[in-house]
Amino acid sequence: MSAADPSAAAPAAAADPDGPDAVRLTWNAWPRSKVEASRCVVPLAATVSPARVPDRSTAAPPPLPYLPLRCKPPCSALLNPFARVDFAAKIWICPLCFSRNHFPPHYAAISESNVPAELFPQCSTVEYIVGGAPGAPGAAGAPPPPVFLFVIDTCVIEEELEYVKMAMRKAVALLPEHALVGLVTFGTQVHLHELGFSDLSKIYVFRGTKEISKEQILDQLGLTGAGRSGFPKIPQQPGGPQVNGMHPAATAGVNRFLLPVSECECTLSTLLDELQSDQWPVEAGNRAMRCTGVALSVAAGLLGACMPGTGARIIALLGGPCTEGPGMIVSKDLSEPVRSHKDLDKDAAPHFQKAVKFYDGLAKQLVSQGHVLDVFASALDQVGLAEMKVAIERTGGLVVLSESFGHSVFKDSFKRIFEGGEQSLGLSFNGTIEINCSKDIKVQGIIGPCTSLEKKGAVCADTVVGQGNTTAWKMCGLDRNTSLTVFFDVSPSERSSQPGHQNPHLYIQFVTSYQHPEGQMRIRVTTICRKWVDGSTNTEELVEGFDQETAAVVLARYISLKMEMEEEFDATRWLDRSLIRLCSRFGDYRKDDPSSFSLHSNFSLFPQFMFNLRRSQFVQVFNNSPDETAYFRMLLNRESVTNSVAMIQPSLISFSFDSPPSPVFLDVASIAADRILLLDAYFSVVIFHGMTIAQWRNMGYQNQPEHEQFAQLLQSPHEEAQMIIKGRFPVPRLVVCDQHGSQARFLLAKLNPSATYNSAHDVAPGSDIIFTDDVSFQVFCEHLQRLAVQS
Amino acid sequence: MQVSRAAGPPFAGPPGSGPAPSSAIRAPQGPPPGARPFPGSPPPPSQPSPPFARPGAPLQQQSPPQFGGPPPAMASQPQRPGFGGLPSGPPPQVQRAPFGGPPSGVSPQAPPFGGPPAAVASRSAPLSGPPAAASYQPAPPAAVPQRSPFGGPPAAASAQPPPIGGGPFTAAQAPPFGGPPGSVPQTAPTGGLRPFGGPSAPSQQVQFGAPPPFGGPSAVQPGAQPPPFGASQSQAPPFMGPAGGNVPPSFAPPMWQGQGAVPGGMQPSMRMPVMPGGMPPNALGQGMSHASTPTMPYSPHAQVSTPSKIDPNQIPRPVQETSVIIFETRQGGQAAIPPAASSEFIVKDTGNCNPRLMRCTMNQIPCTGDLLTTSGMPLALLVQPFALPHPSEEPIQLVDFGEMGPIRCSRCKAYINPFMKFIDQGKHFICNLCGFSNDTPREYFCHLGPDGRRRDADERPELCRGSVEFVATKEFLVRDPMPAVYFFLIDVSMNAVNTGATAAACSAISQALSDLPEGPRTMVGIGTFDSAIHFYSLRRAQQQPLMLIVPDIQDVYTPLQTDLILPISECHENLEQLLESIPVMFENNRIADSAFGAAMKASFLAMKSTGGKLLVFQSVLPSVGIGSLSAREAEGRSNTSTGDKEAHKLLQPVDKTLKTMAQEFAEYQVCVDVFLSTQSYVDIASISVVPNTTGGRVYYYYPFSALSDPAKLYNDLRWNISRPQGFEAVMRVRCSQGLQVQDYFGNFCKRVPTDIDLPVIDSDKAIMVTFKHDDKLQENSECAFQCALLYTTVFGQRRIRVINLSLSCTNMLSSLFRYADLETQFTYVVKQAANGIPSLPLSQVRDQVTSTCINILQSYRKYCASVSSSGQLILPEALKLLPLYTLALTKSVGLRNDGRLDDRSYWVSIVSSVSVLLAIPLVFPRMIALHDLTSRDDDDSLVPSPLTLNSENIHDDGIYLLENGEDGFIYVGNSVNPLTLEQIFGVSSLAGLPNQLVLEPFDNELSRKVNEVVNEIRRQRCSYLRLRLCKKGDPSGDFFRSLLVEDKAPGGLSYVEFLVHVHRQIQSKMT
Repeated sequence: MSAADPSAAAPAAAADPDGPDAVRLTWNAWPRSKVEASRCVVPLAATVSPARVPDRSTAAPPPLPYLPLRCKPPCSALLNPFARVDFAAKIWICPLCFSRNHFPPHYAAISESNVPAELFPQCSTVEYIVGGAPGAPGAAGAPPPPVFLFVIDTCVIEEELEYVKMAMRKAVALLPEHALVGLVTFGTQVHLHELGFSDLSKIYVFRGTKEISKEQILDQLGLTGAGRSGFPKIPQQPGGPQVNGMHPAATAGVNRFLLPVSECECTLSTLLDELQSDQWPVEAGNRAMRCTGVALSVAAGLLGACMPGTGARIIALLGGPCTEGPGMIVSKDLSEPVRSHKDLDKDAAPHFQKAVKFYDGLAKQLVSQGHVLDVFASALDQVGLAEMKVAIERTGGLVVLSESFGHSVFKDSFKRIFEGGEQSLGLSFNGTIEINCSKDIKVQGIIGPCTSLEKKGAVCADTVVGQGNTTAWKMCGLDRNTSLTVFFDVSPSERSSQPGHQNPHLYIQFVTSYQHPEGQMRIRVTTICRKWVDGSTNTEELVEGFDQETAAVVLARYISLKMEMEEEFDATRWLDRSLIRLCSRFGDYRKDDPSSFSLHSNFSLFPQFMFNLRRSQFVQVFNNSPDETAYFRMLLNRESVTNSVAMIQPSLISFSFDSPPSPVFLDVASIAADRILLLDAYFSVVIFHGMTIAQWRNMGYQNQPEHEQFAQLLQSPHEEAQMIIKGRFPVPRLVVCDQHGSQARFLLAKLNPSATYNSAHDVAPGSDIIFTDDVSFQVFCEHLQRLAVQS
Repeated sequence: MQVSRAAGPPFAGPPGSGPAPSSAIRAPQGPPPGARPFPGSPPPPSQPSPPFARPGAPLQQQSPPQFGGPPPAMASQPQRPGFGGLPSGPPPQVQRAPFGGPPSGVSPQAPPFGGPPAAVASRSAPLSGPPAAASYQPAPPAAVPQRSPFGGPPAAASAQPPPIGGGPFTAAQAPPFGGPPGSVPQTAPTGGLRPFGGPSAPSQQVQFGAPPPFGGPSAVQPGAQPPPFGASQSQAPPFMGPAGGNVPPSFAPPMWQGQGAVPGGMQPSMRMPVMPGGMPPNALGQGMSHASTPTMPYSPHAQVSTPSKIDPNQIPRPVQETSVIIFETRQGGQAAIPPAASSEFIVKDTGNCNPRLMRCTMNQIPCTGDLLTTSGMPLALLVQPFALPHPSEEPIQLVDFGEMGPIRCSRCKAYINPFMKFIDQGKHFICNLCGFSNDTPREYFCHLGPDGRRRDADERPELCRGSVEFVATKEFLVRDPMPAVYFFLIDVSMNAVNTGATAAACSAISQALSDLPEGPRTMVGIGTFDSAIHFYSLRRAQQQPLMLIVPDIQDVYTPLQTDLILPISECHENLEQLLESIPVMFENNRIADSAFGAAMKASFLAMKSTGGKLLVFQSVLPSVGIGSLSAREAEGRSNTSTGDKEAHKLLQPVDKTLKTMAQEFAEYQVCVDVFLSTQSYVDIASISVVPNTTGGRVYYYYPFSALSDPAKLYNDLRWNISRPQGFEAVMRVRCSQGLQVQDYFGNFCKRVPTDIDLPVIDSDKAIMVTFKHDDKLQENSECAFQCALLYTTVFGQRRIRVINLSLSCTNMLSSLFRYADLETQFTYVVKQAANGIPSLPLSQVRDQVTSTCINILQSYRKYCASVSSSGQLILPEALKLLPLYTLALTKSVGLRNDGRLDDRSYWVSIVSSVSVLLAIPLVFPRMIALHDLTSRDDDDSLVPSPLTLNSENIHDDGIYLLENGEDGFIYVGNSVNPLTLEQIFGVSSLAGLPNQLVLEPFDNELSRKVNEVVNEIRRQRCSYLRLRLCKKGDPSGDFFRSLLVEDKAPGGLSYVEFLVHVHRQIQSKMT
């Protein structure tokens, strides 16, 4: 067996692989029993992108300006195209629970020729506007403005700070006029800037060493009881200090710290101009004192006081590790290195658990307030993403890791979050996702940027994966790309297994309510229908319904979780065994005859995915810092299947004079002197010039009119790369390199080592070798075949 | 009999012993010195020229118009550029605007100061005074400085009154009671005689009076009078009265010796004139055979039955001293008896220190502890290491031993001083304190002369002067000398803003900034607070200062490591702007809470690395944060049942929080001064702990008036920062073997038993040191005291000021009494009483005070008075005012029964550091009449003679000023001539008198005089009096009357009754 031709997958990816529902399942046909399900090896799971904006090509119905109909509790599923409708009786039957529901009076006009949009078959996904928009039913005044609270690290060198300022100025200019902005800067201490004070620059200073509760922050800011009109007031604590403000009437509460951009642009720009690196001295041999934890606490506390329940983001720009106070990941003494994976494994990271606990608490607070934590870490050193992961992921925050605030990975990504229009991320707030499904299906949990709302229900499975034991999850922040992985379990009940009553279809409904970027609250309902597969022998149907990309991604997410949760978890071994079991079950072979082994085309790419997953940053964590690992995993968990596949198995496109740009094997053998290769590994995009190409380029042929074609050849991978970069967040790192150049490692590391220094003799001229002892895909497959066919 | 105060020979008692109010010490207004030679005094010295520099002083004198007057400063600001011809280069500060035609006396001297050494120049420049001064030029002598013009009638030092009016008292003059004990009939004195003329026992006159040891020089001095201007030493207190507080100061900051960048930069003209030869040595110590015993010749019977027989006019009262005394500290190898602290004198340091710096309760030391106990008197030193010198005194000289450092006894570490005896051809010297024989370092070796002294003794200040300063070597430094750091902390809570206290503080600070020591080492910072603490970072080239708020007032921190405290040169303008905007910024502040303790702590943290002065302007009871306080006063009132017994508990700090904090401050050399401008109870008992522990003090403006108090606030602040002072000081007093230091009292922090730490020590602070015997002293030997103060000057030089005093030892009780120093002793009593107030019921404290007095008098009566006088109340001459002062003390704010807790606590707090000079008036105020200032005869002093403190002297048609160095109470009678009212106050009727008094100068003679007098008093007291108006029939009038200590009061006896009481007690003890 050989790797499937990569070009086969390419056209599929070009279309919208997620379909109008933005739901992909590992298996599109489900076995009916638990035993059968476990024999499938790859878990029953769905990835869902609840806020995905369908391609323009898909004619999505406009949002419906009325409230959806719900089935009677406890089902509470929403009316959907799969419901059976009795137009005469004005009754609909819920496909999930088979309950009969009467249409309410305002649906009186319903008839076969006049059906509401949510019953159109193509409207398996439909949105309702339920409030917030002006004039819309149920609207409660103007939609709340978006809130951005910036948290800026000032323990950075002057140069970095200048980059930050530049980025901030751009961001402020891009913000909508009515957006509320706040600013926290921190170093040794936390500075909360009161933007609504015009006389001079007024700053509240919090010490970096002391953990400070939300209540204390509010008391100290004089925000106790100073709720914003229209929002529930926090009851004034008896005996608490009075409002701490100079012009209480004018600047109480929110107006002091969070101001519409239109009102504070000037103040902000002055502030940015005058912002200095942290003034506290750093002793020789020490790290700067950086109190990231307290800064985030203060930011969270402020938002909690001013904006509970309204969408708001804390955007943290971090330039180094937290060295004091809660959330500290390393002491200030430089002789103590920042924890590595080895330290974590050996439990030799003294601050790790404490910091994680702190961020866990912060996550809980943010989730209860409905606020998002975004982290932009730009440092050569680690900043503590591994510890912060919990807070970022639970709140659905964005995360970007780069080396410097001057690097385009930071600069362009940062800009992206404020940009509107076509490329906008569609940042939404305050999402809640509920899952309803047919009776025999249980939900084990979700991996992805969300938090369990701990709403138990009948659909909760006994085993839990990720955020489980609930039927509803909170997504404080979500955007067009946000993707969740839902793990299901099959547990047939007595009644449903009665012959004759068996429904051949299963239904799963995802109900997401969220604050749309435009401010309105929307409910989005996606109902999917899939087939049950009867009996244990009918693998054909199962095979037909297998989605190998989704399966690979789900497995990657699943083992990432296991690696984090389970000590001594051997991911490689677990993957190998799973793959062997899968191949044993679904491959075609004669027992004990490896050469007879073959796989259905639905499985053909899967071994390759697994091979690359084994070698990927998700499994081989020791090549990376804990921060990087956390970063990779967070993105893996929140990205769409297509993007996640790129993380696991990068795509490689070849550009040459001979042929049009075409995908080539992710193999060292693809390297050729007269080729340009474009590698998309999601986090990085590498343009790799073959030796000859590089020479020509260095000689400047591209500048000569007679070699215009060469110029085009040089240009086209760049254009392609820009396409990729433009559509991606975080912006990938673009590496342009030449064969044998030092940067070439970005490509070589991802390639199948079919030619190593051990096999250097049979390398084609112009190609390359990789200095590694890793096994090549070839060897991997041979082993797989042998083991899969063993009886 | 009447001895009129004005006429005739002035009260001839030993003037020195009286607390002659310094008003007496006024320079002769008109005639040049020498015009009033006293009979029998040596001829005027040959030098025609004015030996005594009274530099700046006259000029300061000239500024009076600004003193509380209209704000000339307004005008003077624009003047700055206008005056081109400054004698001195430095950019003029407001009031330093040079004027074109300096008085003749000024011009010659001005240049030296105008010249380079920047520090000096800038400081001296102001001495040139404001333009207004020009008007005074014609008569510079008239403008003679505040403190002590020379040429007054020769004030006899101590117990030797020069025979004014020619020789000893005539029989006629001799008060009948003053005669030899028992010789006077007990009947009431006949007319013309002063039965209680306490002083002047003829015998004493004879004994001591004959050689007028001090009278001579003092008589001479006037001749040497013309004040040389330009002497830099003038201590001119910067009390200047900008009315309304926004007037820039017109007084120059004091130029004080020894701290200037140019030490010893003295004018030759300032030098002490050489004393005319042939001065008889001090006769002290000569025969005590006829112990002088002024007596009170009345029988106990008479006393009991008819106390009225005591003629209230004849009982001992302080005498106003009007002449300047020249005092040589040692004469004929012996300590001379220093003149009374309150008299005006000029000291020539001939081995013992200037008594201003250090004086002892007794000028001879008892050889044994038993003798001391018997006498009933305390043995204590009052040390005021930075006491303002008289302008004519030589500055303390600075000695630099280079690398070697000052020579010290290798055993007790005492510093080299004139009393260390060099022996063995100078190879060794014997420590006068511990008796150890040290090797003379080779570098310091010098041969001895025939008199046994080192040949270089007279050239070396440390061998011939009682006080000297050494440059500190590295071994005295634990770090680089600290910069002069000033951090201002202002209450901006609602009440503070509403009452105008915040604005007053800001304005005061803003004006005072220019009085900070100049130079790169002067740093300032500022903070404000309500229920949070606001810091300001001023190093901003950009638009605005940065305001940093520390909201956590339970656990404070400093918001920045740097930039909160900056060199004044970098932030002066920003700071002024900020100070201007603070009151506006907090205009609508609705936060009533005030986190005083937390704000102090946070500021301290900001200053911790350097130390410095923290000046806190607080207006309400600190209600939140660390060290918050509760309204204990109200609690005390509500449960009156326990109230009385435990009342004193409310005068103790509520807990240890602030004390602990203060000790930490002191450890890091942070001194806190608290300015309390309040209208309610603020618990001074608790608050004062901080300044008292850190070398600062409490200033109290109650009830704060935005109209009248800002001027005082400003002047207090200005004096606070511009007076002579030293930073990060450590002080130790050593004494001869046989004695040991028992305890120190004052505003400092004591961490080890031997030393006291003074984050700041300034010219107003005195420290009392008590001693006890641990062995016998040899009669005829001398007992030495040495105070060593290691400190940093405001310009950052580390120095050791060493003050030596060597006194004879005696076994004679009578000598102890004769050489007792009343004012010092009484200061001791006051401090002890203040010490007891927080821990004992008031009545007990009063009893203690009274019994101290009685015990002393009884001891004297028992051991020193002749038997025949048994029926009389006999008072030792030196202590004859003790009963009066004691009575006054029992009626003082601190010890009287009525009165607010805060007032009492405040009194206790200021007493703890008060100097001898100011302790007396604090309890025994001075009262003068204002209404007749223009009509009274022009005697020598600017301030008229004080009136006796009884209500007989208060007339309904009069206006009186009573002052105690802190407050000035102006009492207006009911039937004052409206014209007088108009002239002084600018109102035509009693009803029109404002309650909040701002004394403005009006264009009339009387107003001018009144302002002059008030300004003069301000100078004398180094305090801008807080003037309050008291009207008859008003509570304020009643209060005024309660200050008349000789009157019988609801809670106290009249003076006569008290004398009777004392006498009776002594009688009963004797039997």
